[in-house]
Amino acid sequence: MRKKTIFIILLALIFAFASNASAKTKLRFFYPVGVAGPLVKVINGMVDEFEKENPDIDVQPVYAGNYNQTMQKVQTAVLGGNPPDIAVVEISELFSLLQMDALIPLDQYIEQEGGQKFLDDYYKGFLGNAYGRDGKIYGFPFQRSTPILYWNKDMFRAAGDKLKAAGLDPDRPPKNWDELVAYAKVLTIREGNQTKQYGLIIPGGWNDWIFEAFSRQNRSQLIKEDGLTVTFNSPQNLEALNLWVKLMQDLKVCPVLRPWNITPDDFIGGVTAMMYYSTGGMAKIRKTAQFNWSAAFQPAGKQYGTPVGGGDFHIFKGIPKKNQDAAWKLAKFMTTPEMAAHWSIESGYVAVNKKSYDLKKMKEFLAKFPQMTVARDQLNYAYPKMMAVNYQLIRNAMTTNLDAALEGKKPPEKALADAHKLMEEAIKGK
Amino acid sequence: MHISSWKKPLRENKPLFNRGLSFWGGALSGREPMREKLEQFRSYLFLIPGLFFLMLFTYLPILWSSWLSFNRWNLLSPKPKFAGWENFVELWHHDVFWLVMKNKFFFVTISIFPTMFLALVFAILIDERLKGRVYYIYSLFYPTLIPMAAAAMLWVYIYSPNLGILNILLAELGITKLGWLGSSETSLWALIIMTFWKNLGFFMLIYLAGLQNVDRELYEAAYIDGAGWWRRHIKITFPLVGPTSLFVLVTAIILTFRVFDQIHLMTEGGPGNSSNVVVYYIFENGFKFFDWGRATSLTTILVCILLTLTLIIFGIFGKRITYTAD
Repeated sequence: MRKKTIFIILLALIFAFASNASAKTKLRFFYPVGVAGPLVKVINGMVDEFEKENPDIDVQPVYAGNYNQTMQKVQTAVLGGNPPDIAVVEISELFSLLQMDALIPLDQYIEQEGGQKFLDDYYKGFLGNAYGRDGKIYGFPFQRSTPILYWNKDMFRAAGDKLKAAGLDPDRPPKNWDELVAYAKVLTIREGNQTKQYGLIIPGGWNDWIFEAFSRQNRSQLIKEDGLTVTFNSPQNLEALNLWVKLMQDLKVCPVLRPWNITPDDFIGGVTAMMYYSTGGMAKIRKTAQFNWSAAFQPAGKQYGTPVGGGDFHIFKGIPKKNQDAAWKLAKFMTTPEMAAHWSIESGYVAVNKKSYDLKKMKEFLAKFPQMTVARDQLNYAYPKMMAVNYQLIRNAMTTNLDAALEGKKPPEKALADAHKLMEEAIKGK
Repeated sequence: MHISSWKKPLRENKPLFNRGLSFWGGALSGREPMREKLEQFRSYLFLIPGLFFLMLFTYLPILWSSWLSFNRWNLLSPKPKFAGWENFVELWHHDVFWLVMKNKFFFVTISIFPTMFLALVFAILIDERLKGRVYYIYSLFYPTLIPMAAAAMLWVYIYSPNLGILNILLAELGITKLGWLGSSETSLWALIIMTFWKNLGFFMLIYLAGLQNVDRELYEAAYIDGAGWWRRHIKITFPLVGPTSLFVLVTAIILTFRVFDQIHLMTEGGPGNSSNVVVYYIFENGFKFFDWGRATSLTTILVCILLTLTLIIFGIFGKRITYTAD
């Protein structure tokens, strides 16, 4: 009798736990970190918050490397029939994911939240990369940025007399391309054949993204919004590339192809007076730079201009409906005014939710670090980032050819033409 | 103990693998007693589980991927479609293919022989009972123990052009700072140096083990006969570590052909494919560009090359190197 009772109790316990376990929705969440800095901790902390609020959902955050590596992981998982439930990938990847038929549209969820009124809370500039060609919304903004110009105020001041002699104001950053060249020249310090201090770093690795900014500043673009028409070989783009070659090869005021990840270290270590980098790297600079620094809009060419950047949430096909619903909950949670503000403060990315900037916490923070508003304000001059199917192949064509031109191995005209041809092949197929 | 010499042909020795378990030599001749046949049958039975997994995860995928290499299969044509030799013809006309091949062979030839030579020299030095040899073993061997991902990140900072320790040291010596990972002139060299550092200790340890098999009496005899340090090693050590060298050579070729992690983490093949090698290029085509047709045809080519290389190596050295038999 006693034995039987124990047996029944045990059985009941097993069922209790089993049903408990199956009631919990398990989410696999892939995310990248695309800039220098310890952001994995921040994301995991936000996920913990989410789980506290939603005890029936168990999120398994998977740090999948940089943007390229995360996309590779997602693609492989989708092809293997085992997609993640929710993932953040680089915004230009959308068309490739759609080509693989990997995503569900989010329109119904957004309808439930209040439709357009709900979307109006988010910066419009960040929604430009969220829509497929069918007009449905497939991405939801999360870690979003624009590239900005960081400048070392102390170095500007130290070179004050020389800057003034060149007719430049040492208390402000360059506002256009001509000034950029002039400032960089004065701020470069050489000793013998060693460069002690560079005027400027335009990093490699994501130079296609920074190049897109220069292209926009010169009233051109890389690929048109239809994702089909390549304009990489435009005369305006050639002008932009020639400017880069001049900075790196002729004037030698900017190192060639400094790796993306270590560029913020060069800025922090006093190797350069100015740096183009994502606003997402700002928290690291804020916490470690031992000098006065600030950030500014990228200098204008014919106009101010920049592509947006970063990563969006995507929810995947081929998973249970309740997982998709839970995934949407997670995406919404991560972009509430409070969470977006928290993420922005900890990372340097722009808070995608406009209401974040009304929070007291955010206002106090921005009063201390007004640099953090630069990327947001630059949104007024921002365009959607280029999007096309086979983006990885296209990006590879762009970076290899830009690299070759910047190292002086290919004339800029040929580099643009070669990349242009490869990009068209990638879009239209062989 | 009998030690066979470098030039002695294998046939004079007792056959190494024929110790009564040979299928063809035994069972087919029909002269063996029944019991022995049963024994053989049993030993083959034990191979089945291993063979099953080899089939599933090695042989079948190789066949499957060779078949795919004759298909067009990428993001824009998501169903494999037979295309004959098209993938191979395209590769033949593709600059990057020749570049990654060249880089690969450069990588292998440049890194293998210095690694092998230095590994042997260090092994000999440590074997000579230097003072503090344990310290040397540890410091040479520890890079092998560090996970490649951690080592790669470490070297990214070592190679940092202005702040990295390597360029700072170079500048102290009055040498111009190099771009390392950020320059197409040096990126491949940077990876070779890092791989050298990572692998040296491993091969040193294998050589050290190989040296333990060399009879000490030979050195004593040579010493009494008046042979100097160099002569002793050239005449005794080098020939007698022949089998170890063959093992090290094959392992080193395989290891360097497989080089992937450090490229993925340090350069992603850049700048401008300057540090891209075949294996990474296969990965790029497959998992990044989603061009499975091209990725599998590259794999097929690589398999053929490796197979030929292995046959050549065993063809040359297999005949000339003999293993010590008792």
